[in-house]
Amino acid sequence: MAVKAFSSDWAAQFKDEINKSSVYKAAGKGWKWTVGLVVEAEPNKHFPESRGVVMDLFDGEAREITVGPASDAQKCDFVITAPYSRWKQVATKELDATKGMLQGKLKLKGDLPTIVRYTRASQEMTECTTRVPVEWPDEA
Amino acid sequence: MARRGVKLALDRPQLVAYAGDEPSAFAQMLGGLIEANVKANSKKRHDFDSLSARVGVWVTDIDEGVSLEFDSGRLTVYNGLEPRRTITIRAEAETIMSLSNLKIGLFGLPVYYDENGRGVALKLLQGKLKINGLLPNIATLNRVTRIFSVQ
Repeated sequence: MAVKAFSSDWAAQFKDEINKSSVYKAAGKGWKWTVGLVVEAEPNKHFPESRGVVMDLFDGEAREITVGPASDAQKCDFVITAPYSRWKQVATKELDATKGMLQGKLKLKGDLPTIVRYTRASQEMTECTTRVPVEWPDEA
Repeated sequence: MARRGVKLALDRPQLVAYAGDEPSAFAQMLGGLIEANVKANSKKRHDFDSLSARVGVWVTDIDEGVSLEFDSGRLTVYNGLEPRRTITIRAEAETIMSLSNLKIGLFGLPVYYDENGRGVALKLLQGKLKINGLLPNIATLNRVTRIFSVQ
């Protein structure tokens, strides 16, 4: 069943998808940092307030994923920031996350060598988002 | 060599500079990556200090690139491809990321026999990774790879 974009239900399904992925389990081995996704508000797309997704990822496992205020996500070790419609493009495979970061469409904060070392894990994490059926507010 | 509007990175004024007023996201990412690598590893620092070359990196699937001008312990990053490059690397974004994940093995040579290395070698054979200036500059390419690698 489709869940509302960037809601607590979405976070729960996203976590399940990550933990079901054997690719992520292998590629994320050794990862021990928190990741925050800041989804910036776009009122004209019916996404009126920014939200923060806080991901507690450890050694190839998603221990917890929560959705709250953007400020929570900004405190994470790695922070990726983009407007709502960009994240939607990532989740619908219109935009490759790696290319998005190289183009500055997704803004990354954190230790670059570490994130580059885990490119495969971040690609698989993006794949996991595409497996969650989502109800997009601008399509409702 | 003329330097147009070169700006030093604010936090690390001596190591990496960006030419022009608005370095692209890709320029900042490569500059930041190299700077972090060099600061964290004395062997990479040694390579960096002894390298003089202008290296172009063009990402074919985003149609964007940079020129990295290594000048014995200083790096200037330009948006786009500047003329008179020693080496030019052209590949898709994913392959560029794989290059930065090449392991460094015996005698400081990049490892092409593990999974990531085989993938890079295959892209080279398939023409999906093109390196202009490779043959006369293999030592330079190896040095750049060592500086670029996060492994």
